[in-house]
Amino acid sequence: MNEQLLEGYKSQAKELVGTIPGADDLRKKALSDFEGLGFPTNRSEDWRYSDTKQLRNQLFDLAGPASIAPTVPEALGETAARFVFVNGRYDEELSDLGDLWQAVPIRSLANHFMSNAERANELIPGNDGVSFLNTALLRDGLVLSIPSGIEIDEPIEIIHISCGAANAAAHVRHVVELGEGASISVLERFVGDDNSYWTNSVLQARVTEGAKLTHIRLQEEGANAQHTAKSFVNLGAEAAYNCTNIALGGSMSRFEAHARILVDGANAVINGVALSATGQSHDMLTHVNHTVGNANSDQIFRTVADSRGKTSFQGKVTVAKDAQQTLADQSFKALIFDKTAEANAKPELEILADDVKCSHGATIGELDDKAIFYLTSRGIDPVTARQMLVEAFTADALAAVPHDDVKDAIMTRISDWMTARANKATV
Amino acid sequence: MLNIKDLHVHVDGTEIIKGLNLEVNAGEVHAIMGLNGAGKSTLANTIAGRDDYEVSQGTITYAGKNLLDLEPHERVGEGIFLGFQYPVEIPGVSNLNFMRTALNSIRRYNGLDDMSAAEFMKLIRTKAAALKMDPEMLKRFVNVGFSGGEKKRNEMVQMSLLDPKLAVLDETDSGLDIDALKIVAEGINAQRGDDTAILLITHYQRLLDYVQPDVVHVMIDGKIVKSGGKELAAELEEKGYAEVA
Repeated sequence: MNEQLLEGYKSQAKELVGTIPGADDLRKKALSDFEGLGFPTNRSEDWRYSDTKQLRNQLFDLAGPASIAPTVPEALGETAARFVFVNGRYDEELSDLGDLWQAVPIRSLANHFMSNAERANELIPGNDGVSFLNTALLRDGLVLSIPSGIEIDEPIEIIHISCGAANAAAHVRHVVELGEGASISVLERFVGDDNSYWTNSVLQARVTEGAKLTHIRLQEEGANAQHTAKSFVNLGAEAAYNCTNIALGGSMSRFEAHARILVDGANAVINGVALSATGQSHDMLTHVNHTVGNANSDQIFRTVADSRGKTSFQGKVTVAKDAQQTLADQSFKALIFDKTAEANAKPELEILADDVKCSHGATIGELDDKAIFYLTSRGIDPVTARQMLVEAFTADALAAVPHDDVKDAIMTRISDWMTARANKATV
Repeated sequence: MLNIKDLHVHVDGTEIIKGLNLEVNAGEVHAIMGLNGAGKSTLANTIAGRDDYEVSQGTITYAGKNLLDLEPHERVGEGIFLGFQYPVEIPGVSNLNFMRTALNSIRRYNGLDDMSAAEFMKLIRTKAAALKMDPEMLKRFVNVGFSGGEKKRNEMVQMSLLDPKLAVLDETDSGLDIDALKIVAEGINAQRGDDTAILLITHYQRLLDYVQPDVVHVMIDGKIVKSGGKELAAELEEKGYAEVA
């Protein structure tokens, strides 16, 4: 790796010594793992479709506090609480805890480990250079510990804003723990200005018996952003992880969902929609690890790429030798608007058990001319017709979003994206 | 209402329509009969404005306007409806949403406000009931999983809802059993009126037992070779195309 970059990140890590109580050793180890691996390249199988050039060539400073007041995006509907992070730091003034704090212990990462320093080793170190660097350089995040039996229907919004952080990175880590039978919905949002910045975020969750974590991600970063994010989720008996990722913004964006099924009866649903405009690249990678049997996983991904846009999906399902009666399904469909658009699909099934039902399907195609003509032959203008078809195409991947207002807001963004394509075409 | 002069149409570089003339007036029902490959469907699709159908020569005038200047959706706004021989399945778009969007698109084209959801529901239920369509089918995705007869009935419900001035029905009778055929015929007859015109494209005389045409045309190799009254259809049935033409 570039020496200058390495020295730069090492000195950032030095600055952060002591900021997360109990975590210094773990962070030191993560930094040396990062040093060993460096940033991933296309030669690494998991990163073969992501262009990491900018990460490999540019030192991103630690993002400082915003010098001007950031604009907080409007809520998408009812929320239980809003937590706002500006440049990777929790902003108390912009946040609104609602009544949530009465039911749920909420802490910042630093505070959490202040009183539980011995638990700092629960931080997941990572699985590649990017996530090791997150562990080494994270400075803030949210810890949500949901007591057993607590069910909160409205989404808990975590809003990440990048503001005036040119050439800087925000490394954030959220830790979610759900007690038995608890249920929450976390809506993560990512927005930013036109600066070149890097969001490097990890959410790690432990979902215990009978608990359910809904995780919706709406990625609307600024046009020049690099966005790398991962979720690491461990599922107990009858536990559920219901994730929907929406990738719209940024120049290069990537989300990885890693779900480990540790006890019978768990259920992982990981869905996603990505819309790539010209020059954009969205990458989604999933790994569902069925370590035990009698559990289900389901994945639906729909992506759309305009001219010279790129979307990629890599879906890995691992079924261990003893994980009998596993049901795993995976469906990926990509639309490309012309021959210069790119869609990559790589389903990967590693099945060691013999009594399982695992399926996958992947298709890549263009919008159906016959369908467009049918709609226009009923008086619908071609722009609306294409919009309707793209909305219909993405609908399956949004079906698991339980909040109607959030789903509507996502649909609106999809039709706005289509309108923007149409306007661009006529200019 | 519709005036076609010396029409030549190419599809994928091949000339399919080779100098066709046709005049349809308000209040009339015309039937165009012909064997497979005569160019009947090409004519229907050309009137509707399908973009891979290239008009190389001739004119189509509709209600005094040059139809060929209009986009497909604008033609619909002007009152033209194409009933498809093979209605397209559109997964993910509900029949209701499709029909409401279509109706409101036409209203907007004509400077009217959108119809309210409640008003629309009332209207579409009436239309569906008149054509004996199960209201559940309105909630399903457009034509997905519909039988051949259900798809054609769905076309008729759309026609009735959009209430065109000129309906061009491409083989609407094909693949229907006798009960479905009667329902479709009822739909077509209900659309007849002094200020509407209907162009029926078919290669069987069967539908014409239920929908009496004013004029019958015989189309062979991209041209209308003979026109006459409804008795021409019976003659075709009896003697075959070769002898009549």
